[in-house]
Amino acid sequence: MSARRIAGALMCGAVALGLAACGEIDQQAKTEKIYAGKKDTRAFESEKFGNDRAKWEAALAQRNRTQNEYLRTEPAPDATR
Amino acid sequence: MARMKFICDAERCIECNGCTTACKNENEVPWGVNRRRLVTVNDGHVGERSISVACMHCNDAPCMAVCPVDCFYKTEEGVVLHDKDLCIGCGYCFYACPFGAPQFPQAGAFGLRGKMDKCTFCAGGPESNNSEEEFKKYGRNRLAEGKLPACAEMCSTKALLAGDGEVIQSIYKQRVQRRGKGEEVWGWAMAYNRKDAKPQQVKA
Repeated sequence: MSARRIAGALMCGAVALGLAACGEIDQQAKTEKIYAGKKDTRAFESEKFGNDRAKWEAALAQRNRTQNEYLRTEPAPDATR
Repeated sequence: MARMKFICDAERCIECNGCTTACKNENEVPWGVNRRRLVTVNDGHVGERSISVACMHCNDAPCMAVCPVDCFYKTEEGVVLHDKDLCIGCGYCFYACPFGAPQFPQAGAFGLRGKMDKCTFCAGGPESNNSEEEFKKYGRNRLAEGKLPACAEMCSTKALLAGDGEVIQSIYKQRVQRRGKGEEVWGWAMAYNRKDAKPQQVKA
């Protein structure tokens, strides 16, 4: 092997080593956690709503609306949904 | 369904503790555990304000990030819940939470800690909806009954609002617009008692 080839190989090795030092390990903590517990039933999968999501959402929306006493005391066209 | 949120209108809160009592009663929360509590700023002085604080069901919840056993999960409605069967009571979530929401039942000497307990937005936990087991571990599942959390529904002045984030923020906005003030009680100026803090003008 010629001296030129040896020098080339050494150069390539040095470059590879130098670039490896530039590599950065991610310092950010991974927050993508995977839940390890039991599976939960969804709120509308209850006896009262029998898996009817629309019915459950309507019931909750009604409760939401009644929190606004402006709607209960006077008509407000620009009020909440 | 949007994300479930709480908001407390400090202009309306009269520090009656009705919300904390309702929570205790509804979920049969044991002694020493306070899922909800009242925080009063400038207590005893003119302009004192109170807000009701519990788990805020954060979008990017720090408790979830630090839990070593990954016992936290988030429902489709954005309610942060946890599995008590998996919880080891380490207390990391307590240190991570900026609201001091996670609670630990304590019994006996040497700081013995039980499994973490916190506000569930009255949505129970990972057990069958409205089952006895769910009630014993997590309290009542009002959401599965089509109801909102007991604290908010019990609030006599409707200071504490709970439900779909978009709806309750629009209710709050409407109030602030009507009375022309109230928004300034949130934020750094209130927290650090800045005298030069001026009420923000809310545009319609």
